[in-house]
Amino acid sequence: MKFSRKSLGIPYAVFLLLFVVGPLLVLFYYAFTNGEGHFTLRNLTDFFTDPNTLGTLFYSLLVAAVTTVFCLLLSYPTAYILATSKLKTKSVLIMLFVMPMWINFSLRITALKEILTLIEGNLAYYPFLNSVIGMTYDFLPFMILPIYNTIVRLDGSLIEAAKDLGANDTRAFLKVTLPLSVPGIVSGVSMVFLPAMTNYVVLDMLYNSTYIMGSLIGSYFSAYNWHGGSMIALILLALICIFTLITDSGSAEDSGVRGGALL
Amino acid sequence: MMKRTMRSVLAATAAAVFMISPVFSIPAKAAANDGEEEVVLRVSNWEEYIDEGEWDEEETIDLESGDILGENSLVDDFEDWYYETYGIRCRVEYSTFGTNEDLYNMLTIGDVYDLVCPSEYMIMKLMSEDMLEPLSDEFFDTDNELNYYINGVSPYIRSIFETHEINGETWDRYMAGYMWGVTGFVYNPDEITREETATWKLFANTDYRRQITIKDNVRDSYFSSVGALRSDYLTSEEFLNDPDYAMKLQNIMNDVSEETIDEVQDYLQMIRGNMYSFETDSGKADMITGKVVANYQWSGDAVYTMDQAEEDDYYLNFAVPVESTNVYFDGWAMLKNGVREDARKKHAAEAFINFLSRPDNVVRNMYYIGYTSCISGGDDPTVFEYLDWTYGAEEDEEEVVDYSVAHFFADEDDDPEDFVLTVPEEQLNRQLIAQYPSEDILHRATIMIYFDKAANERINKMWIRVRCFNLENIPVVIPLTASILIAAAVICLLVKKYRKH
Repeated sequence: MKFSRKSLGIPYAVFLLLFVVGPLLVLFYYAFTNGEGHFTLRNLTDFFTDPNTLGTLFYSLLVAAVTTVFCLLLSYPTAYILATSKLKTKSVLIMLFVMPMWINFSLRITALKEILTLIEGNLAYYPFLNSVIGMTYDFLPFMILPIYNTIVRLDGSLIEAAKDLGANDTRAFLKVTLPLSVPGIVSGVSMVFLPAMTNYVVLDMLYNSTYIMGSLIGSYFSAYNWHGGSMIALILLALICIFTLITDSGSAEDSGVRGGALL
Repeated sequence: MMKRTMRSVLAATAAAVFMISPVFSIPAKAAANDGEEEVVLRVSNWEEYIDEGEWDEEETIDLESGDILGENSLVDDFEDWYYETYGIRCRVEYSTFGTNEDLYNMLTIGDVYDLVCPSEYMIMKLMSEDMLEPLSDEFFDTDNELNYYINGVSPYIRSIFETHEINGETWDRYMAGYMWGVTGFVYNPDEITREETATWKLFANTDYRRQITIKDNVRDSYFSSVGALRSDYLTSEEFLNDPDYAMKLQNIMNDVSEETIDEVQDYLQMIRGNMYSFETDSGKADMITGKVVANYQWSGDAVYTMDQAEEDDYYLNFAVPVESTNVYFDGWAMLKNGVREDARKKHAAEAFINFLSRPDNVVRNMYYIGYTSCISGGDDPTVFEYLDWTYGAEEDEEEVVDYSVAHFFADEDDDPEDFVLTVPEEQLNRQLIAQYPSEDILHRATIMIYFDKAANERINKMWIRVRCFNLENIPVVIPLTASILIAAAVICLLVKKYRKH
């Protein structure tokens, strides 16, 4: 047998080189060159000295943070109730939560737009709120699933032990269930926070005319400034790396949860 | 500049169903080649910007010159026509682009096309960068009756193309007009008056706070802001009677000096909170569903919007600002690195333009996409007949007016009286005025030239400043609290992690 296990990885390696590493190199090239093709750090310093790009970064973080908090507040109780219920139909219920994800995204946001118009009258008055609602709507399943997966796998005897030792329900939840579900929360947060920073389609569709990172990159490209645009993309990539490193160290012990979350 | 119709959905379905057909047709095609190599023509056009056929039988347009019905797509029809006329097989590789800037970026990356259809300012940019191949002398030969373009192009369009230059060369050498139009407002006459709408100052009108849309692109926003800022001067008697009116108007509307850019920035920042949305495509739907009272629009899309609303017995109007309006063109141009002096390709590309300029095909396109063709038809009456067929008053109609389109149709030796339509009076505020603007409107219409590199950079920076969240505007408390919260969350996580180990 000439084929080793390693050679099974060749198709993926080729894919990786062509579609991940290749474009990344191009991105690096543009980010660190100017129009004449010479090496420069201008794009990097421009980003950190321009109040507009910094403002956009701040606004993106704000939208993403508020969205994440909204998602968390909605998801945790839901996931907790689902996971601890005695129902035999749990998997069906969780399926119901995931189902909206199978409906086309722009269709869902268009429907949301009509509902918000009914409630608010003229939705142009609440651009920030609408963006957050839209994103929460879009990303909610990504938060529910990992939290549900963590709680449902918790060893029930731990809670029983806490109660045996005199803890009431609240105390048992705060001291046992909540700390043990942190990996699920972390994993959910990273799955919501990062995409929310760049998902400008939601803002566009709900008429928030303020740029976030994704739309800023787009505007650089339509102004033919590929170099500045690539640098912003690269900085975003760096931010994501840092964020992932932090959250990963927090939840590395529960790789099963992350696997489940990546559904 | 795009629109969606039910027909295109049907066409897509049909295309999907017949996907398998090429498999069976390969042997037939190979046999028909007779050893002669087929010409491949790579065409890139706007989305939804050509008739894709599949019309219903009852959609037949019955003109005096004959019936017109789009059976197959114009691209397929061209391939057949080219073979029948010249005995050469031509295969069109047809693709589409979303914005002029997208097209330019695709060309820079290295995508190669033979024939593209961008707007005039992009053609000017491509001309200035020496990327275009000039049209051949044969293309302008009026004695050849297959030269539908030069024999049919509107005198109005022709004079503009012949009098505008880039680097000492006139546009018409490089660009064959396809569709054109002006910018203005679609509005709901029940909610807002014509006087309030027909000015660029509408954007700043706080009576309609958050009920007006503006275009989400820097060029259209810039133009309309300049129009609003210079409104008083542009409508003054002194300026209107200026002997150099047209020239001066063009200079004012294309002013990209730093002071003007700053003024535009302040203006856009001021009106931003007064807008319903910066939109690229959603404005049409928001206008039809009544979410907004006025929608800044290209005339072709305005026609589409009014048509759609009418299907629900809901009548919208169109108004062109009194100060000035932007007349724009989309045109066909050959790319140097595509045709590469290949005579066969050039011939096919020019034949493609001519085929699309044949009056019956012009009508098919106009019916299908709603924009106005640059072709008036020359001696062929088809296009004018179509106009009469679309807008002409019924015999029992009471409120009718005469409307002249001679400025678009009549050549020097034509009688302008031959190009007067009798139309229902309300059409003066509806589709007709959008599709074929009156002579008055075209008098105050001006083109918007391309920005050179430096101006482009300044204007785009301005645009980004308008659209970005400004750090200086907010109290320090908010970012401070936010960063503290984020830092606290991170620390909590880390502490939790170390406690466990």
